[in-house]
Amino acid sequence: MEPLIKVENLWHIYPVGNVTALRDVSLNINRGELIGVIGQNGSGKTTLVKHFVGLLKPTRGKVYIDGEDTAPLKVQQLAAKVGYVYQNPNHQLFARTVQAELEFGPTNLGLPEDEVAERVEQAIKFFGLEDLRDLHPYRIGFPLRKLVGMASIYTMKPDIFILDEPTTGQDNITTRKVYHLIEKLRDEGATVLCVAHDMILLAEVVERMLVLRDSELIMDGTPRQVFSNHEVMASTHITPPQITILSLRLRKDQQTLDDVVLSVDEMIELTKQSNTGKK
Amino acid sequence: MQGIVIPITMVPGNSTIHRMNPLPKLLWTLGILALSFSTRNIAVLGVAFLIGLLLVFYSGITKAYVRVAMILFPISLTLITLQSIAPAFPRPWTAIVGFGPFTIYQEGIYSGISLLLRIMAMTTWAMVTIMTSHPSDIFTSLKKIGMPYVLNFIFVMTLQLIPILQSEFGIVLNAQKSRAMKGSGFGAILPSMVPVFVGAIERVQQLSISLESRAFGSSGQKTSFRQVRMAFSDYVALFLGFLVPGAATYWVIVDKSLDWSHSMVFSPAFAITLVLGATIGFLIFVFFAIRAALSA
Repeated sequence: MEPLIKVENLWHIYPVGNVTALRDVSLNINRGELIGVIGQNGSGKTTLVKHFVGLLKPTRGKVYIDGEDTAPLKVQQLAAKVGYVYQNPNHQLFARTVQAELEFGPTNLGLPEDEVAERVEQAIKFFGLEDLRDLHPYRIGFPLRKLVGMASIYTMKPDIFILDEPTTGQDNITTRKVYHLIEKLRDEGATVLCVAHDMILLAEVVERMLVLRDSELIMDGTPRQVFSNHEVMASTHITPPQITILSLRLRKDQQTLDDVVLSVDEMIELTKQSNTGKK
Repeated sequence: MQGIVIPITMVPGNSTIHRMNPLPKLLWTLGILALSFSTRNIAVLGVAFLIGLLLVFYSGITKAYVRVAMILFPISLTLITLQSIAPAFPRPWTAIVGFGPFTIYQEGIYSGISLLLRIMAMTTWAMVTIMTSHPSDIFTSLKKIGMPYVLNFIFVMTLQLIPILQSEFGIVLNAQKSRAMKGSGFGAILPSMVPVFVGAIERVQQLSISLESRAFGSSGQKTSFRQVRMAFSDYVALFLGFLVPGAATYWVIVDKSLDWSHSMVFSPAFAITLVLGATIGFLIFVFFAIRAALSA
């Protein structure tokens, strides 16, 4: 099967200051995958994902979305396939009501009115925005405003969602809600890429991680593989969730655990199993 | 994005003009401003513009200057077209040649050229000053000559906000383009401007809180991190900045023979070529601007 996103030897050099932001990156992403893109600030995460939506064009190499080379395509053409949710919703929102905000994307795509209305209804239901539809986006709190930003992309029904730091600045309730929504998006068949520093999101929600360091893709694996790789963790200054650190320590120092644990629930499950084993 | 953002800010360099204290530069710019508004004489304005251009080349800011001039110059060309048929001059006007319903006037051509040169002279000098001086140095220098701290701060913040807003506009435009918005036309104004203005207001609000929490407005002498010294050459430049533009302004005001608006006669061929050239120049600019906006 043709990968949905195919990156071949991608280089990106920013003309201002001649900065190499991506160095020979190659990867494939299949339909329906839920991926985390991690790395320190300035490692090239955002540069990489901006190529998928056409906001940046390769200096060298190729990026294909659904088999199509992105180089000659405009952002507006790619927008029907790739949705980019900005970290700061204020960069996206401008309309007088949440509803108008949600209508903006699909109307730009030239969809018929009833289709637009249907998509808006679906988005409102999906994101639980029923009480907010007539409010001005700037009058609602930041966490919910961020959801409106996501919903405004959802109405365009892209195959690929790129979420830039979806949980930054969110309270605990909304963070959990975002995790749930990301999983729901994937269940609906979308491919989701999260650029994130939120380790719990990466450990508990995503299935595959792309690790960037100094403009290079240094690792591509499951969260379990990535978090248990000491060298990658140390060189990227990424700290796994505490429960994962605990499991790694128990495995290494005391040999009481065989597996790397990604969540508290997993740890409880493992403990239960080992207790049952002892009994 | 690069096509839209015009960087009117400091271009780092080490030319004599860069090393100069900002005060004489500001004084010279003000002097040229006064001179430009005091005369319509094409030669005087042309010389001021040319000297400005020489300073641009000399201080190594040509690339940045050309980027701004490429937008400013074609727009200013409309002055020639409009002035030639409707001069901003007391009547009676001398007709040169008829053009369907329009008539090109002698005073109009003269007025158009002098207005164009006036704008180019003033902006060139202003750009030399802005592009070769660090905003903080301008701030510190103005403070030294008694400009109130708060006023000075507003001035510097405005200068600093321009590039911030420009980059913000780029981000917002990209955000809306990724929502399939066409990057041009009236439809693009609201979606791209509202977030920028809301962002700007929020930024200013946060800035005021952050300033107050760091004792902005407390009385007494403040320490200045950047030290700006006046070298001997700066005093000479300052003195000349009073003398040369001042004397030139006095001369253009008193010397009535510098009014060439009637003595300088333009031939019909020259007038038509100039007006057509200016109009075509402007239209080419509009064509490229629309094309750039559409491809954005």
